[in-house]
Amino acid sequence: MTARLSRLVSSNWPVLVFIVLLVTLIVLKGRFNGFDARSLSVNALPLILIALAQFLIILTRGIDLSLGPVASVSGALMSLYVTDNPALGLALPLVAGLGAGLLNGVLIVGLRLPPIIVTLATMSIWQGVALVVLPNPGGTVPSDYQDALMGSFSSPVIGLVTLAVWAGLLTWLLGSRFGLSLRAIGSDEAAAEMSGVRVKRTKIIAYALGGLLAAISGMYMAVSMSSGSPVVGDGYILTSIAAVVIGGIPLTGGRGSPISVVMGGLILTITASLLYFAQVSSFYQSLINGLILLLVVGAPGTREYVAGLVRR
Amino acid sequence: MSAVDRDEPVAAPAKSLPRPALTVAVPAFLLVLTGGLLLLGERMAPGFASSNNVFQLLKIGSFLGLIGLGQTLVMLVGGIDLSVAWVLTGSAVVFTAVCSSQDGNTVPAALAAIAVGLVAGFVNGFGIVKLRISPIVMTLAMNNIMLGATLVYTGGTPSGGVSPVLRDVATGGIVGVPYMVLLWAAVGTFAIVAIRYSRWGRRLLAVGENSRVSFLNGIANDRVVIGAYVICGVTASVTGILFAAFSGSSFLGMGDQFVLPAIAAVVLGGTSMFGGRGGYGGTFAAVIFTTLLSTVLVIGNISAGVRSIIFGVAILAALIAQRLITRDQDRD
Repeated sequence: MTARLSRLVSSNWPVLVFIVLLVTLIVLKGRFNGFDARSLSVNALPLILIALAQFLIILTRGIDLSLGPVASVSGALMSLYVTDNPALGLALPLVAGLGAGLLNGVLIVGLRLPPIIVTLATMSIWQGVALVVLPNPGGTVPSDYQDALMGSFSSPVIGLVTLAVWAGLLTWLLGSRFGLSLRAIGSDEAAAEMSGVRVKRTKIIAYALGGLLAAISGMYMAVSMSSGSPVVGDGYILTSIAAVVIGGIPLTGGRGSPISVVMGGLILTITASLLYFAQVSSFYQSLINGLILLLVVGAPGTREYVAGLVRR
Repeated sequence: MSAVDRDEPVAAPAKSLPRPALTVAVPAFLLVLTGGLLLLGERMAPGFASSNNVFQLLKIGSFLGLIGLGQTLVMLVGGIDLSVAWVLTGSAVVFTAVCSSQDGNTVPAALAAIAVGLVAGFVNGFGIVKLRISPIVMTLAMNNIMLGATLVYTGGTPSGGVSPVLRDVATGGIVGVPYMVLLWAAVGTFAIVAIRYSRWGRRLLAVGENSRVSFLNGIANDRVVIGAYVICGVTASVTGILFAAFSGSSFLGMGDQFVLPAIAAVVLGGTSMFGGRGGYGGTFAAVIFTTLLSTVLVIGNISAGVRSIIFGVAILAALIAQRLITRDQDRD
């Protein structure tokens, strides 16, 4: 009984952590209505999308530092063109994101270069491109988009549905043949290759899809702010990795589910409002995020280490 | 499996010495490019290549160079340290707060600041080696923790100031040569020699090249790796103190500008991201190259966006060139 319970807890603990945080928030705040649900889902959406992109890449044992700046570029392009030419304004950012992801994939897979340093370089490139495209925050996105994509102020439905749809889409993707290949590569690349997985192609597609998801995230940011900003994605460069890790997913690849990523993103988002309502200075936020991160990734190793000390 | 059980010193296998051809060729190539940049700068702004101006550029580069030293050691053992940004800032903030502009407080303030880096580096190393947390996550978390701790400690505004003595060290010089450049040259030379020829340096490279083999050869892997992170933390602290002295005060976010350029410089300099190959010579040349490149771009009135693009393309080009050069010997 206890073994089953502990297994249940350990496999779903990001969900449990989120529920505990949510309940704490509700108690502190004294209410949780449609408005609160909407703002939580809408605030978490860009982070969750980039984290899902990061997750696809981490599954293959890669990492992508350029996702945030790709989001900036896409948001900037959208805010520049969507008012005058909706088709261009929607297509261009997506193409840019897909192209950026493809470039990463081709460089990393084709030349066998380390992902972290390739995406460090492309990160710098896309940060620059965003500044060239849109030197200062500006551009416009008509408010119709906001109503359509995020719902009105007190209606949580669209925000929550959007989150569910993305989580569902990614879950479907991972269940597909492609998803199986992704996880196989992360677990053991050589074995996957010998089992007939097209390793190179699958990895390149993972980076390309990551770029596409980052672009969509950037478009959501542009929609929610009704304008673009060349630096809006920079805050997500490392946070997206943190969200994946807090979801309990190892950076060594091969494991994890999209739901865990969504929970990781929600946990990071909700701690900010929790601190606010607990009247803790926002100075503590990154301290607490860092400690949560360490707690999550350090727990198994600490258990083993302490066990090793006791045995000796 | 713990490696501290066996720490009887045994020489590392000779194979783990850096490949001489590459460790000389990469810095040499970078220095040729740097020479080209100097000529270009001289054409755009006469006086750019004068010894006075070159020393000023080297002085600016020395801070990145010191951060790059710690990062080189960590990357030689196959790790990475993303926490240097706020370890640097945190140390600088502690330094100015304790020092409060008094010459007499310089030494205790510096010790307090270095303690910050020492502890942060040790915790990084301990988490990575003993608790087997991935270096990216461990140092990312440490960066967040240092960021939060610095904000809480300062309440949002760093206090105190730099002592006049240290300000003179960071900004002044002797017979036209800035003290910072002398310091960087001395520390850099020591690091190059130590990594290549000392027993410690061989262990560092052996662990990075193949930790299993080095362990079987009796090297205390854990100590070597933790040591690298501790030195990295301490170099971040020292850079923080000196950069605060150079700027006249400490300020929040002062370390952010160094992290990615330092990693880029290490990689440009030919140190492998997978550990075991490279050295400080390459980093040294790459820091000079990137400092000069960004200065030339500023003189050329290139906008910040285009500068960022050129910087990224330069890293990619260097990576691709290295990959093509080492293609034959790197088929593993």
